[in-house]
Amino acid sequence: MNIELPPLVALLLFPGGLFILFSSTVYEWADRKLVAQFQNRIGPRLIQPVADVVKLLAKEEIVPDGVNPVLFHALPVVALVGTLTAALYVPMAGLKPSYSFTGDLVVTLYLLSLMTLSMGLAGANTIDRFSLIGATRALTQLFSYEAPFLLALLGPAIIAGSWQIAEVDQFARGHWWIVATQPIGFVVAVVGLMGKLELPPFDSPEAETEIVAGPMTEYSGRGWALFRIGRDIELLVGLTLMASFFLGGIANPIEFLLKTGGLLLVTAGLQSLFCRLRIDQTVGLWWRIGILLAVAQLFLLVFLR
Amino acid sequence: MDTQQEPRKTFVVPIGPQHPALKEPGHFEITVDGEIVTAATVRLGYVHRGIEKGVEGQNWAQAMYMLERICGICSHVHATAYALGVEALAGVQVPPRAQAIRVLVAELERVHSHLLWLGVAAHEGGFDTLFMYSWRDRELIMDVLEGLTGNRVNYSCNVLGGVKFDVDQKQSDAIRSAIDFLEPRTHHYLKIVTTDETLIGRTRNVGTLTAEEAERLGAVGPTARASGVARDIRVDSPYAGYPSFPVKTITAAAGDLEAKFIVRLEELFESYRVIREILDNLPPGDLSVRVKPRLPAGETVSRVEAPRGELLYYLRSAGGPNPDRVKVRTPSLCNWGTVLATAAGHKLADVPMLIAGIDPCFSCNDRLVTIRRRGDAETWTWARLRQYGIEYYR
Repeated sequence: MNIELPPLVALLLFPGGLFILFSSTVYEWADRKLVAQFQNRIGPRLIQPVADVVKLLAKEEIVPDGVNPVLFHALPVVALVGTLTAALYVPMAGLKPSYSFTGDLVVTLYLLSLMTLSMGLAGANTIDRFSLIGATRALTQLFSYEAPFLLALLGPAIIAGSWQIAEVDQFARGHWWIVATQPIGFVVAVVGLMGKLELPPFDSPEAETEIVAGPMTEYSGRGWALFRIGRDIELLVGLTLMASFFLGGIANPIEFLLKTGGLLLVTAGLQSLFCRLRIDQTVGLWWRIGILLAVAQLFLLVFLR
Repeated sequence: MDTQQEPRKTFVVPIGPQHPALKEPGHFEITVDGEIVTAATVRLGYVHRGIEKGVEGQNWAQAMYMLERICGICSHVHATAYALGVEALAGVQVPPRAQAIRVLVAELERVHSHLLWLGVAAHEGGFDTLFMYSWRDRELIMDVLEGLTGNRVNYSCNVLGGVKFDVDQKQSDAIRSAIDFLEPRTHHYLKIVTTDETLIGRTRNVGTLTAEEAERLGAVGPTARASGVARDIRVDSPYAGYPSFPVKTITAAAGDLEAKFIVRLEELFESYRVIREILDNLPPGDLSVRVKPRLPAGETVSRVEAPRGELLYYLRSAGGPNPDRVKVRTPSLCNWGTVLATAAGHKLADVPMLIAGIDPCFSCNDRLVTIRRRGDAETWTWARLRQYGIEYYR
């Protein structure tokens, strides 16, 4: 859909800004609800994620001893800003991206990585032992899935002949669903997205039963709320990007809902199917299987094209 | 930052006393080098309740209800061990029907305990789906126990000299239908723990305990049986109704976490079989015999097989209405050594599962233990004991 919105509205209200903030909480709810249903639980109410964030924002933020206070306050903001900015370059809600330029795919992917990087740094900033181990694991995981994820998303871009998200989306709409021709890339990208979001079974950076909340252990109140919103938005942006690239583009809001919802169903299913991987198993999976598959597919595309 | 001038310090990850992995307080200091565990120590005693001393002030019948509350999961075996000891002291013969009902409740309790453990162990490994499913199925057993005894925990089924209630046809049908549902479910879980790649990745060859080590460290119960040590009080010295309803010892050779899963799940099948057998062949007769309030002077040891292993009760009577001394040794206490011995060399991520692997019960095992060589006995006065306690918890 091509609706021309005033830039300020697009940035602050719709489809950027406020709209993203609220719709991302709905996606968090859907994710939690689906996993709960798969696990034979009831799951949260629709209002729960918003209520959590409001409550956290109202709470006192404790700055622990031994941290750099500037970094401690800045990192959640950086993480949130990164994901919010990334949301402007994807076809959110079926509209064309609010902002677009050549090569914005690469920028978007790096903006999404900012989230994990901020979390890792936030953990390394404290002297908490759980945080430090969590930070090590978060950054280790970042280096494992980032390359395969990037390579997987480059597949559709190479076919479309453009590194601009809007053009790839346009291309995908006019052709067969790319998931049919690049199933490997799709699988790598789905798993990569789950690794990025530290969803089970890739949640060893914040494995509750080992290191409490990993890098986030020392965060409370506002900082933790911002990280949470950032994570929700990353989920939304990631799903949009994947639907747009692999599932035949996003032409209108209904397609957006159906395709991202379908993807969410897949990731929720994967979340409830497996036992948590140890960090060495996660890294092994990516560097032994993920990257090889992604590279193989990339070479195939480059040569066959 | 004076830490940078010092030579490389050890990095200790504290697990507990407050930690999401632990449902009860205990303190583990895990020394790690990166992700690799180099040493582990445990400190217990956060929930010492002084029950052994407490029962000395109560009469023989009251003491059972207090002792039953040592453990919230295996309360029935505590009461059974105590009742068997008291009956031996009193020299009474408990009717066979009562003994069979004791075994029935004990096996139902074992089913609920093992299903609970399956869920906890899966949760420690991050497999929450298995956790939720096994706990959902466990509810059936809780309902059965509630229907049978009136309570979901602390069933209070024993009295000195027998049991409190009979099993009628309706209850027996309810138990049968629950078992009929659980048996295929257990087969399903056994299939999951032996075939699910991600779970095997976390359990196979993790925390391997050889049979010699298990013997040396004095492991009991499923922990020992998973290492191939055939040690089961129900078989080695049958008590209550077990002489008439024998069980088979389940062992596995591997000694790793996977073997612990397999042993516990296969024990469930054995429990289902015994439960059905008891329901089919419940001996007729009375439910209890009278035990006099004053027991003759003497001492006795009674041993039973709790879901976690051998539970030992030492009772001494001075001829009065109260126990003169009650000494309890719970199975978790025997198994801690195996966790600490196997932890080194594993990843930090394996530690919660290793701890959960012995099915620890913290508040049951908190007591003062000193180990002395033979002939090196020593008497502690009450004042000294009190002082020790004050200093320990300081």
